[in-house]
Amino acid sequence: MAPTESAASAAETGIPNGTGAPDCVPNCSLDRALAAELWQGCDATRWGLTRDEFEQILIDAGTAQNFGLAEAPEVKPATPKQQAAFFRGVRVADLALARACARGNERAWEHFIAVYRQPLIRAAIAITGRETLGRDLADQLYAELYGLNERDGQRRCPLLSYRGRGSLMGWLRTTLAQRHVDHYRRTRREEPIEDFDAPAPDPPPQTPARELSLLEQAIEQALSDREAEERYLLAAYYLDGQTLLEIGRVFGIHEATVSRRLHRAADQIRKQILKNLQRNGMSRQQAEEAMGADARDIEVNLKKLLQNSQSEAFQEQAAS
Amino acid sequence: MTATSQHGFHPDAESLSAFSERALEGRERREVLAHLAVCSRCRKVVALAREAADAGDVNAVAPPRKTIAPNAWWKQWRLVWVPTAIVAAFAVASISIYIEQTDRHGPNIKIAEQNPAPSATRPPATSPTEQAKVEPPAAAAPAPPPAHPAKHAHSSAPEPRPAPAPVAAQMPSESEVPEPAASAPGVMDRHEVMREAHPMSHAEEQQSPPQEAMGIHGSAYSQPASGAWEAKQKQAEEHRQAEVETSRMRSFKAKAATTGEHGTDQSAPQPPPQAVTAGAAPQLETQAAAPPEPLPMLGFKHMSNVSGPATPIQLPSGLTSVSIASRGHFLLAVDKAGALFLSEDRGVTWERVTTQWTGRAVEVHRQVAANDAMQTAPATQNGPMGNPSANAGLAPSPAVFFELSNDKNQTWVSTDGRTWTPK
Repeated sequence: MAPTESAASAAETGIPNGTGAPDCVPNCSLDRALAAELWQGCDATRWGLTRDEFEQILIDAGTAQNFGLAEAPEVKPATPKQQAAFFRGVRVADLALARACARGNERAWEHFIAVYRQPLIRAAIAITGRETLGRDLADQLYAELYGLNERDGQRRCPLLSYRGRGSLMGWLRTTLAQRHVDHYRRTRREEPIEDFDAPAPDPPPQTPARELSLLEQAIEQALSDREAEERYLLAAYYLDGQTLLEIGRVFGIHEATVSRRLHRAADQIRKQILKNLQRNGMSRQQAEEAMGADARDIEVNLKKLLQNSQSEAFQEQAAS
Repeated sequence: MTATSQHGFHPDAESLSAFSERALEGRERREVLAHLAVCSRCRKVVALAREAADAGDVNAVAPPRKTIAPNAWWKQWRLVWVPTAIVAAFAVASISIYIEQTDRHGPNIKIAEQNPAPSATRPPATSPTEQAKVEPPAAAAPAPPPAHPAKHAHSSAPEPRPAPAPVAAQMPSESEVPEPAASAPGVMDRHEVMREAHPMSHAEEQQSPPQEAMGIHGSAYSQPASGAWEAKQKQAEEHRQAEVETSRMRSFKAKAATTGEHGTDQSAPQPPPQAVTAGAAPQLETQAAAPPEPLPMLGFKHMSNVSGPATPIQLPSGLTSVSIASRGHFLLAVDKAGALFLSEDRGVTWERVTTQWTGRAVEVHRQVAANDAMQTAPATQNGPMGNPSANAGLAPSPAVFFELSNDKNQTWVSTDGRTWTPK
């Protein structure tokens, strides 16, 4: 499996050599009282982490994320209060354990295995739906975490990308899910061609081509105007086939609430499409007739359209 | 946003995990959500991670529930408590009803308890031996029947005092007759109940002094009007003794029948009050220790077929009575001025009887005809004498009549208390 950490991400973490050596900016420092408080609440002595190592981990994590501040640390260093606010939103214990493991601390690894080994296997089995596949997936990730993969002669540990925003177990589950989805998508593309059943040729459209073209434009415009959460609901339900319960778990809402939001979003999209059609020169009656066109006549492939779409934030990030 | 990405543009596992755990806020959350809206791959990752988290939570929570449930032994017995509570409630209710019925019948017995108490106005013919029997010392209180030790122990507990009978008001006050205070009223009640359930043997009856057996009758407490009082009293005692014996036999038969059906059920129909009072007299006289209390007029409802001396009963004339006789609901009372009053409702209302005698009436008492005592006794079981309610009409009875004496020792008789004829 290819390494998952890019050079850019390694630079962001402030650990370019991958060994955990600090690359702190000269003016960064951690408030002593805050460091003492976090040290007591972390109980990092269980996995043999020293106080200095612990503080260095905190400095590295804080400076890599600029303590949650928008301004660069060279412009305005974080105050102790800002540092405290930042670390109170971070899983410090999980972060320290992950960084200690990435540094090659044996006691930290023992603790990691004792705590996360079995949950990791159970999560992998739940993700794959099969025990054998799950165990294989868990073992593969475990090997990655231990740093068996190397890049440019350096051992790479995915745990270095963990920043403590969520729980370490959640990060492990998400990483497992990424591995599984990537593997599934890659292997699906390798299906033999004889298994591919070519669809029958489409019948000639009954709706005029001009109206269909206007309808496609209206649909694309209506979808692009919707909020991200509504588009997520629509895509997860209609494209991915997720259940209302699964969608509700992601957002922490009841499935009935998901259902109401879906219906409301569909109604609003329908109204928006009608408006767009009228705006493009159709009368209301023509627009309603166009809405009754056979969906198979519409050239809009929503799945393809959405999958190829990229959010602006990540497009900007990729460009930078 | 500082999230690292995989495959160029996807949020890294850190961001997706934080979004799945709802740890992202503000701009970061909106950016990830916008990407998820258009990226099926990341939606699938989030959904799988969420599913794995839920499966892990279920596996982590399930074992403790299994370990706790078997130890909750009391939960297995929860249903057993329901019938147990019902049975306990039924038992408590039964005991309460039993005690209530016992107390309800208590006053009838109370009459017999308090009437035989010796009086300071007892005729001087009473011998010292009889006095000693009548007024034993406190230490000589009779022992409980050995066959019922538990019942006696229970009866020694303090109990609510039953409503006193009006006859008790006719009894001499405590200052007049010092009584042993060792026994509580409840004790006497229990003994009377026991006596009813197990009638006194004939030998015990023989040992009882006749005065005790007749103690409740008016002659035993009335004022000695003249020298002929003793002769008349002796004759009356013979009649009453015969009546008592007859009534006791009748009571015994009734109780035996009742006991055969209900054991010692005290809720069984009470024997005729006359029999109760007479049969209870001997033992009660040796046990009576309760200090008499001021009694209301309504207490007359428990009195029947008795007569006695004057006690502080307020009559319509404003004077207290000096002699009272009763039969059923009817009461005859003579006040200190010699006026005779009649009450047909157990002393609630009084009516003055027109004077048909000479001199000043000093005594009234109920009398039983000597020749008819034994013959009329069985008949009165179901007749007016046996049933107090039937006496309400004060139907003429050849065996029972009232006698009134004046200060000159002259006697008048009457069957209805209104019409008096010289004897």
